[in-house]
Formats: sequence, C-alpha cells, structure tokens
Amino acid sequence: MGDGSSGGGGNRGLVASGNSNSNNNNNSNSNSNNSSSNNNKPQWLQQYDLIGKIGEGTYGLVFLARTKSPNNRGKSIAIKKFKQSKDGDGVSPTAIREIMLLREISHENVVKLVNVHINHVDMSLYLAFDYAEHDLYEIIRHHRDKVNQGINPYTVKSLLWQLLNGLNYLHSNWIIHRDLKPSNILVMGDGEEQGVVKIADFGLARIYQAPLKSLSENGVVVTIWYRAPELLLGAKHYTSAVDMWAVGCIFAELLTLKPLFQGAEVKAPPNPFQLDQLDKIFKVLGHPTLEKWPTLANLPHWQQDLQHIQGHKYDNHGLHGFVHLPLKSAAYDLLSKMLEYDPRKRITAAQALEHEYFRVEPLPGRNALVPPQGEKVVNYPTRPVDTTTDFEGTTSLQPSQPVSSGNTVSGSMQPAHGVTGRSVPRPLLGMPRMQPQGMAPYNLASQAGMGGGMNPGGIPMQRGVSAHQQQQFLQQLRRKDAGMGMGGYPPQQKPRRM
Amino acid sequence: MADFQTSTHRAKWIFTPQQLVDKYEAANQTAIQTLEKYGSTLMEVDADGSFSYPEPQVNANADKHSRPKPLSIEEEQFMRVFYENKLQEVCNNFHFPHKIQATALIYFKRFYLVWSVMQHHPKNIMLTCIYAACKIEENHVSAEELGKGISQDHQMILNYEMIIYQSLEFDLIVYAPYRSVEGFISVMEEFCGENDHLPVLQNLHEAAKMEVDKIMLTDAPLLFPPGQLALAALRSSNEVHRVVDFERYLMSILSRQNSTDSISKLVQSLNEIDSWVRSYKFPSEKDLKHINRKLKSCWGISSHDESKKREKKSKHKSKKSSNEAENMP
Repeated sequence: MGDGSSGGGGNRGLVASGNSNSNNNNNSNSNSNNSSSNNNKPQWLQQYDLIGKIGEGTYGLVFLARTKSPNNRGKSIAIKKFKQSKDGDGVSPTAIREIMLLREISHENVVKLVNVHINHVDMSLYLAFDYAEHDLYEIIRHHRDKVNQGINPYTVKSLLWQLLNGLNYLHSNWIIHRDLKPSNILVMGDGEEQGVVKIADFGLARIYQAPLKSLSENGVVVTIWYRAPELLLGAKHYTSAVDMWAVGCIFAELLTLKPLFQGAEVKAPPNPFQLDQLDKIFKVLGHPTLEKWPTLANLPHWQQDLQHIQGHKYDNHGLHGFVHLPLKSAAYDLLSKMLEYDPRKRITAAQALEHEYFRVEPLPGRNALVPPQGEKVVNYPTRPVDTTTDFEGTTSLQPSQPVSSGNTVSGSMQPAHGVTGRSVPRPLLGMPRMQPQGMAPYNLASQAGMGGGMNPGGIPMQRGVSAHQQQQFLQQLRRKDAGMGMGGYPPQQKPRRM
Repeated sequence: MADFQTSTHRAKWIFTPQQLVDKYEAANQTAIQTLEKYGSTLMEVDADGSFSYPEPQVNANADKHSRPKPLSIEEEQFMRVFYENKLQEVCNNFHFPHKIQATALIYFKRFYLVWSVMQHHPKNIMLTCIYAACKIEENHVSAEELGKGISQDHQMILNYEMIIYQSLEFDLIVYAPYRSVEGFISVMEEFCGENDHLPVLQNLHEAAKMEVDKIMLTDAPLLFPPGQLALAALRSSNEVHRVVDFERYLMSILSRQNSTDSISKLVQSLNEIDSWVRSYKFPSEKDLKHINRKLKSCWGISSHDESKKREKKSKHKSKKSSNEAENMP
C-alpha cells in the first residue's frame, strides 16, 4: 500500500503466441500453418533446435532445445509440454497455475521461466525454462550407484543452503511448493551459474490465501516419501511447514544417499490413509505424543484411528543412527528441527538459514558442485536425452500398451561425462547419441498412458512419418521385442516425474 | 498473498490516465482499420484457441454507403460498462465470492485494453473471464456448468480461454481491494480501541464492500493500487457511517507503514477514485440499441447470408450460439 500508481513497466516480453497475429498486424488468415502436419513445425518452434526428450511425467513431457536467436545462440532451454487436460475442461489448470506463479516470482534459486508458447494444434502449452543439467535425484543416484562414496560435505551444505534460500523466498511471498523432492531440485551445469540450485516444478504450488484442496482432489499423485506427518494424518490445511519436512527428508537423503522414509504407497481409494509411510516415520523418529505435538489429537486419521496406529508403540528414535551423524553435531541438530513432528514447532526456512550448521566449516558456497579447497570434483553425468522423439511427442503417437522393453542397443555405451556435451546439432538419424543407463527411466516410465509415446527400440525414426505409420511401426516393434525377449531393464526404484 | 509490491499487477497493469486513453484509442483504431480492410471486424476464434481476421467481403468496397460504421471510443466504453454489469450479475447468480468477481472484472478490463469490443464479442469474453477467474481462484466450475447456468454454449467459453490468457500475457494473479478492506478494518479496530465499536465496524465493512463493487466497475482498478481503492471505499462509507476521524486514521496508517507518501498525495488519489465513481455512466436503453445495431453490422451478422457462411465455416460454433449472438442486446 501507499504505492503511487507507478506507470506500467515494460512488458517482460515473455509470452509468445503460436502463430496468431498480434492485433496490430493486419495479416489475413493466420490459420494456415496451424493445421500443419507433423513435418511442418509451428512458427514459434523454429526459434529452437530440438535436441530431444529429457523427461516425462503425469503432466506431460520435457524437452531439451537450444535457442537459435543470434544474441543467445546455443543457449540450452528446457521446454515443458503440458498435456491437454480432460476434454471439456479447457486449458490445463496445472499449467496455468505454474505459469501464473512463475510470472510473479524471480529468485536466483528458483527456476526461471523464459517463455510461454501455445501450440494451437492441440491447445497445449509449452513452458520454456533455463536449462539445468543436473538434479538432486540424479546426483544422489550417481553417488549411490557409480561413485560409491558420499557426497562431499561442502556440496551437501551448499545444496541445502541454496534450497533453503529459494524456499525462504517462496515462503515469504506466501507460496508453498507442496511437492519438494530430489527430482524437483535442479542444479545448474557448466557455465556462469554452475552449481546453483533451482527449485522447479510449481504445478502443485499454492498461494496461501487460495483455498487448498487436497492433493488427491486435484487428481494428482505425488511421491509420499517427502510428505509431512500432519498431511499423512489428514490435516486439511497446508502450511509452509510441509515444505520444511520435505527439506529435512532431502537433507537426510543427501547424507545417506537413500530416501529416509521409504514407505510403500497405498494407491486406492482416493486419498487413502498411508499407514506404511507413517510407520516408517515413527520407526525412525519414535511415537508422536500429545505432549510433543498437542494438535495431533485433532488430526482426522489419528482421531479415527481405524488402523490402530495409536496403539503401536515405537521405540525411542534413533534418527542420528540412520543418518550417521553425531548427536551433538550442528548438522544433526538442524535435521532434527526440520523433522519436528509438530508443524508449528518445525524450523522455518528463515530460521534454518541462520542455523549454526551454516556457520561452521565448510561454509556453503554458490557453486555447490566445486568445493573451493580444490578437493576432487565429481563429474556428474549429463542428463540423458532421448533424441528420437519429436516435440509433438505425445500427439504424434497414440498411447497404447505400456512399453515393457528397455533399450536394446544401449548396454555398452558409456554415459558422457559432460566433457563433450551434446554439441552435435540435431541428431535426426543414426544412433541416438546418449544411451547411458539413464535412458531407462524414460522408456520404462510406468505412468499410465505415457509409455506409448516412446520408441522402445530406441530406433531413430524419420521425421515426417505419419502418426499412423509410426504407430504401426512401433507396434510391430513391440511385438517383435516381446517375442524375442530382448531388452528389459530392471524396474526403476521410482517412477520419475518432472 | 504473494506480495503486491513485486507483482506483475503493480509493474505492468497500473496505468496513468493518459496511458489508458492511448490504449483505448489504439484498440479502436485497429478495429477501424480492420473494418476498412475487411468490411467486418469480428475475429474468428476457433476451437483450438487460435484466431484470425475476418474474411474479406466481396462487396466491401462496392457499396460505400452500406459499409458498417465503426463504434466510437465512447460507444465501446458503454459496451464494456454494460457487460461488466452483466458480469457482476452472473457472478451473483452463481453466488461466487467477491474475489472471483473482482478477478473476472479485472481480466475483462485488461482484455479490452488490447482489443476492441468490435473484434471480440464482449458477452463471450465476459463469460470466459468468469470461467478463467474460477480456475485461477481454485473455485473450479466446469465450462459446461457455467454455460448451462446461463444457457450459453460452453464450447465458446473454451474457445476463448487461451486468447484471454494470451491477451493478459499470463499475468493471472490479480489483487482485489476486498482483502485490503478487511485489513484496514482490522487496523481500525485497534485504532478505535474500545470494543463497543465492533458492530459499527461490521456495518462499515459491509458498506465498504458495496462501495468496492462500484469502484470495480470504473476504470479506477487500472489506475490505482488495490490498497488505495480500498481506502477510497472505506472513506466514502465512513462519510455515511461516521465511525472514525478518517484523516487521523489515514495518518496513523501512513505512520504505521513508514510510508514516504504524504497524506495530501494519498488524499488526492482517493479524491480521484471518488470522482471516477461519480462520473460513472451507464448507457441508456436508447444508447444500447443504437450501439448494438452498429456493432452487429461491424460483426457482419446483419445479413442472413453472412451468418450462414459463418456457421458453415466454423463447425464448432453451434447454431444456438450464433443465433443468440444475433439476439443479444
């Protein structure tokens, strides 16, 4: 308040439209290139070189592309394509919500939305972000599966500090993320911003003021491992404390390389009681008591106690044992304050940033990946890119049977360690360049209906092949695959969602 | 709520009176140029949310006398005023909260900074703004439900959704004065001190909300931040209810916020808001009839052939909706 009516600042020039003319452009029918066939790219797309697909999830697909514009040539951009929402429901509310929040915020530790594109062919939205090469999920996995060594303490502390810094910004702007987990915490690769954390995926984020519907009402499935106990017990109101619980879980995972509370998820009915998840938490943190957590008595699932969770008696907690931290250490003190049962007593992001842990050596830094002391730098693998999909990924192929075969040709190829990058322009034909172990999650993405959009054999396909032809081809391929018993990756620990 | 100070609302959507005039002028000009070029102004919006200019009419240049006359800026203004009232009516009928109504109104106002009512039928835009506001404020109503409630074709709502977001540049978080009113009322409680003021304050609060409803129908929301709109509403309600010494109250607020703004500057803004409310004009029946006739001819739906051609061209537009477009006031 008290704000004089400051004149409108310039348009941030963010929103680009598909092909529609702006209203001062008197071109006639702009429809012509709307109804273009697959090999006719929409105009907005021509400002990018598509490299390939880097992820997929419930909301849609994520692509890696490079800008062609002269001043920013070759800049990597992640393009998130939202699936069209249910028929008759208009533009995807998730997409709209993510856009409207990102339009209002700007912080070094929050992912930057650089453009919004509309694809009129299927009324889908494409969000263009600054590209981040790494994320905590991949970093943790790399250490667990390849390096066989913990993450450098400097790196852990820097990642955590920056995560908290971004979160503090969000919370002080009255935004709750609600879906923090390692795969949503991005880390910038080589370049000026190397090692800088970016919080991503605001599809579930909310402004406090808006009435909050439960996650399941929104028809969204999120990992339960990072869900706060008050939510598991049926709390109706989200507070910023739910994000801090998730940060605690992520902190522990950075230390131990495995999820702290790995509960088995109950899938049905909608919004089910997640007994196993609570059980996992109680086993580590001990039984919650009314003395420690007075409002516990009011939480619906605790009150009803249909599955007699009150009756379980869990031993005193041994969190420090799980995370291999001395009881007296600053790190343990901070972690236990993040994993405080009572959301009202749980440490806030602002308080956490002031915690002793960040004042003792090693001090956190901006480049989380490169310790200043010249210790050994871990070369994290670059994000695997599936170069066989087109931007129209999902639209050109009808979803069919979930793909169960893995990539049959990739076994012997080494993951590229960020040295050469992916400088090869636009691989259309020939072998897909990147086929490291990480190819599997995309092929195996078990999310219903998404698997069909992939090319199971990893066989490159020419653009411009009609959807129908491609579909037939894929089906043949699948049958062949199944018949020959080829491929097949071990199931992922966790379906990956972007 | 996210912070107004750093919002797109403050940075991009609060204008000076001159800027507003320029924008209305530019939108009007564009429509007039379209009319001259194509003989018609209405944009086609298809099911895929894309839009295009009208098809050039064969006889556009043949008969200069029968060429439709464009609306003046004042006539466009009247049209918007009419449909903004309709918008409030529809929201009231659905018992939507004030916040949704205000959000929809602000969307509607912003949309017509870019477009002329000659280019997009305000009835369609009004309904789609309501639909979008519901979506953004998490009070989701399906397009079908909304359409049914007012017996309109819901496909039309969906067709327009994307172009509205696009015209708003996806700046969808807007700040309505209702919450600010609440905040100021609670400050007033402290300011008054004694508890026996509570019922009086209650009345003042209700009166101020009605006052905000009025302000929201003017151009003031495009010119002043929501806090000032709220204070103007409170001040004029206070003139009737006489609860506080308003000048002293303003001083206490300014000192509270360590604001550098002088009280005289603030009072001047409040006066300007008041004058927007006072000078608000609703079109007469006669005006409306006249404008509608002009609009219809601009839209090229006066002749039978034209409307048939349109129907044929856009299969998503149901017969019902185009008939209604013809019958609309």
